[in-house]
Amino acid sequence: MGFFKKLFSKPVDSYCAPMAGKAVELTEVPDPTFAEGMLGKGIAIQPVDGKVYAPCDATVDMMFTTGHAVSLVSDAGAEILIHVGLETVSLEGKPFTVHAANGDKVKKGQLLIEADLEAIKEAGLPIITPMVICNTDDYPTFNTITGKDVTNADVVIELAK
Amino acid sequence: MVEIKHVINDPLGMHARPAGMLVKAVAGYASKITVTAPTGTADAKRLMALMRLAAKQGMELTVTIEGADEAKAAEELKAFLAANL
Repeated sequence: MGFFKKLFSKPVDSYCAPMAGKAVELTEVPDPTFAEGMLGKGIAIQPVDGKVYAPCDATVDMMFTTGHAVSLVSDAGAEILIHVGLETVSLEGKPFTVHAANGDKVKKGQLLIEADLEAIKEAGLPIITPMVICNTDDYPTFNTITGKDVTNADVVIELAK
Repeated sequence: MVEIKHVINDPLGMHARPAGMLVKAVAGYASKITVTAPTGTADAKRLMALMRLAAKQGMELTVTIEGADEAKAAEELKAFLAANL
């Protein structure tokens, strides 16, 4: 029992993949803003489907009016940014359907955004979707689980203070 | 205290990249730096707060800088805003 007590003594917050696809390290994102961790540490998904889900129970902090990105504050206090594709702010919302609004309480797995991945590709933009924790500095323990195919039920980030 | 005013030129406004770059630019300064837009006020060192401003092209930002290194921070911020927003 001592072993388990030790293992679980530190509360760990788990965050699931926001989309189905391949989870990769942030360094693989072809945009230095993300790859260099300027917006925080995290992971990215090379998505196979355009549905974007809440990675945890959270409050929607800001749904960008263009629907290309959303920020959430988890019930545990992590500040999460999900950015669907790269440079997609320039598409002015066209390939995005928004399913949540600022201030909404959302549950893990709840649909937030639907993206038309084909339309993003046709616009010549990458569909890779970074998910970063903006308040990375609050978490000395920051584990990422990448290098495999995931669904929105798979944990990709674990944090502990 | 130093105050800088800047009207956003970037047609995309203050989206994730310029907000991230702004946080990085001010991170090294001890001064308290706040950004006020018609939509609200944010601590320039907090990425989420800056993005929440949803500041658009044509909006005027007022940046206030208060602290020991305010003069140097103001100089860098002026250059940053002119180049990136």
